[in-house]
Amino acid sequence: MPADETDVRGVDRQIEELIRGPQYAMMQADKDARLVSILRVLCRDVARRCAPYGRFLQRLGKEPDAWQTVADVPPLPVAMFKRFELAAVPPEKVVRQLRSSSTTGQEPSRIAIDKTTAFRQGRALVSVLKQHIGGRRRPFLVLDAAESVAAGDSLSARGAAVRGVENFASHTTFAMRMLASGDLEPDWERVEVFFAQHGDKPVLLFGFTFIVWSRFVLEAERRGLQFRAPRAVLLHSGGWKKLQAQAVSKEEFTRRTAAVLGCEPQKILDFYGMVEQAGTVFVDCEAGNKHAPAFADVVIRRPYTLLPVEVGEMGIIEVASVLPTSYPGQALITDDQGTLVGVDDCPCGRKGSCFRFTHRIERVEVRGCGDTFAQSREIR
Amino acid sequence: MSVARITAEGSQQVDQTLAPIVEALNRQRSRLSQIPVRKLLGLLDDFAGRLLRDERTRTLEGIAFLSAWLRRSNLQKLLELNLNGNPAYLDGFLPEGRNYLAAKPHGLVAMWMAGNVATLPMFSLVPALLAKNVCLVKLAYPDPAGMDRLLAVLAESQADELAGADLLEAVAVVWFDYTRRDLNEAMSLAADAKVIWGGGAAIKAITSLPRREHCVEIVFGPKYSIGLIGRKQSESSDGLDSVIAAFVRDVAIFDQRACSAPQTIFIERNGRYSLGEVGEMFARHLAALPGKPGLDAYTTMQILNARAQWALDQSRDVIASADGANWTVCMDHDVGLKEAVQSRTVFLTEVESWREVIPLLSPKVQTVGLALADPEETLAFAEAATEAGVARCVRPGIMNNFESPWDGKLVLSQLVRWVTLKP
Repeated sequence: MPADETDVRGVDRQIEELIRGPQYAMMQADKDARLVSILRVLCRDVARRCAPYGRFLQRLGKEPDAWQTVADVPPLPVAMFKRFELAAVPPEKVVRQLRSSSTTGQEPSRIAIDKTTAFRQGRALVSVLKQHIGGRRRPFLVLDAAESVAAGDSLSARGAAVRGVENFASHTTFAMRMLASGDLEPDWERVEVFFAQHGDKPVLLFGFTFIVWSRFVLEAERRGLQFRAPRAVLLHSGGWKKLQAQAVSKEEFTRRTAAVLGCEPQKILDFYGMVEQAGTVFVDCEAGNKHAPAFADVVIRRPYTLLPVEVGEMGIIEVASVLPTSYPGQALITDDQGTLVGVDDCPCGRKGSCFRFTHRIERVEVRGCGDTFAQSREIR
Repeated sequence: MSVARITAEGSQQVDQTLAPIVEALNRQRSRLSQIPVRKLLGLLDDFAGRLLRDERTRTLEGIAFLSAWLRRSNLQKLLELNLNGNPAYLDGFLPEGRNYLAAKPHGLVAMWMAGNVATLPMFSLVPALLAKNVCLVKLAYPDPAGMDRLLAVLAESQADELAGADLLEAVAVVWFDYTRRDLNEAMSLAADAKVIWGGGAAIKAITSLPRREHCVEIVFGPKYSIGLIGRKQSESSDGLDSVIAAFVRDVAIFDQRACSAPQTIFIERNGRYSLGEVGEMFARHLAALPGKPGLDAYTTMQILNARAQWALDQSRDVIASADGANWTVCMDHDVGLKEAVQSRTVFLTEVESWREVIPLLSPKVQTVGLALADPEETLAFAEAATEAGVARCVRPGIMNNFESPWDGKLVLSQLVRWVTLKP
């Protein structure tokens, strides 16, 4: 599958335009046509440089030239980054390796990032967030510990996200400290100083949803702490599975978090994203829907047929993005389910598809008497 | 949410507890024990015929097999096999030399069903009723999935002055949420015998419930099944096609969720067909199947993960349907049992000899679909496989046919108490 160098350079320019341009102005049909024409070239190029992905496309998809829409691109299951090293660049070109948080003893995802991808991801994140929180730098309170943003050439999902949002920081304060056990504990003195100094100004907060809830909000409530930060914006992401297990709805999370911070509930912004597609985030709008930025898209697929759902229907979330060039992260099918809420008609005025995350895909309760691991797996 | 009762009329909420149902069932015990076994066989034979004629049941998955299984001749053989050659032990004491022997019911048999096979409850219910036990059956899903229709047709069946509706007085089919520990406990404590079908988690949860000291537990699942195609079969004039067609039938029925459905199929290397060609033949037969009624998101993702894993790996190969997560053939040379994905996902593994498969076998493997085309090799394999723990070695195409013994158990013989009289 040789890719034409001229084509690749051509799409580079188009990708730059999409990152630079307005993020939510394109109608879905126009966006789909632009993205698929880029993905045809990009995926073919990555397939040429990443042999496993080349095999994947060859065995499980139509020829890139036959892709008519983003939904025609064969999506790679996101779990494959836990099982395979999927790099499209030689090791010397990798400037950073991103790692997912690994739960229940699983291998973490390992994502090889080269200079081009890192640069694009950083700029894309800024471009998207700017449209939600404005471009001005402001005091930044990270609801995490500094240790989570480890320096070096390997970075966790949490660290990558903090670094990305830090582009909007005039200066950064970490609200927590890491205990010897690895657990996090709020440094209330530091938090109080932060709000005392900046509480009346526009401030930016960021944290992982479950950490924000379990380590910050619940603990503040227990201590009877309430801050006054009326111009604060909190960005948070990830960890809904654990909150749903504790029967905490998004509405409850938003209401109680806003009460602790003393800010408007509309300024608690959840975004959907993953380390396997860093820089591509789907941020809540004022109507509570998540929107795909110009350089990315969401395809909600029906189980079984894998056809895209109709508006109002729930399905498996696939995310597409033209940012990665150093690994095959252009079309990823996730382990999450979401509902397609609308196309080009969100009350917030943003164009394109918008969706809501509903839940992680869980093992079905009853798969029958044949639902067993093979003996070989159990004993090895 | 409380207890739903599934009857011929459908499903309806009935109560917060199981107590009234259990009491009503226990009141039927002596009446049921007075029905001669020949009348029960006659009634079930009539039921068998109606199942294939009745609009409500004739399209249910697995109905043809259930109907054949319920025929008097088949159940008579099943009784003889399970009851020391003479079903009359169920009707009272029979002389045994100077003494007497009889097979009495346990009392109330509680059954927890797996959700994979619509007709599955019948394969426990009928032996339990033939053994004259009253039965409390818990379905896995709130949707009766055809059980209400089976009950409706059974209720209308009749023979030898015995009406199906009267027999059903001794049966209660219920559903309640699996998380209701109180109801699960009540059901377990009401039981004189427990029959449990299900996956690993369900089995563990139900067997850990409190039960009465005399209560017998009969557990089915979780199990794994495989196929084996020998070199001689591949090279024979019959070729592979009919064998593969039969395996695909075993894969298709119950959407590969039964413990008897093949997941990994081993192919002995042969001079006629490469693994890729065998895979193409499987693909052709799978593509000819009618579509599936639907699929959950979890299994869909399992299928997509398996496809990607086999496609990305240089040492493996995969052929997948273009119409979504319909069917998948994964091929490799890694001699192992692959994790069951189900829903028309077949793992083909090439081996040099069937002997390589033997070390993989254990009591976890229930059925081997066997196509060696050599009587001596077939016998040698079966001896080694069953020694290792396998319960059944059967020809492809009949892997899911419920039979006695099942999982190494003569089910009906475990649903009676053998009692003696020495005057």
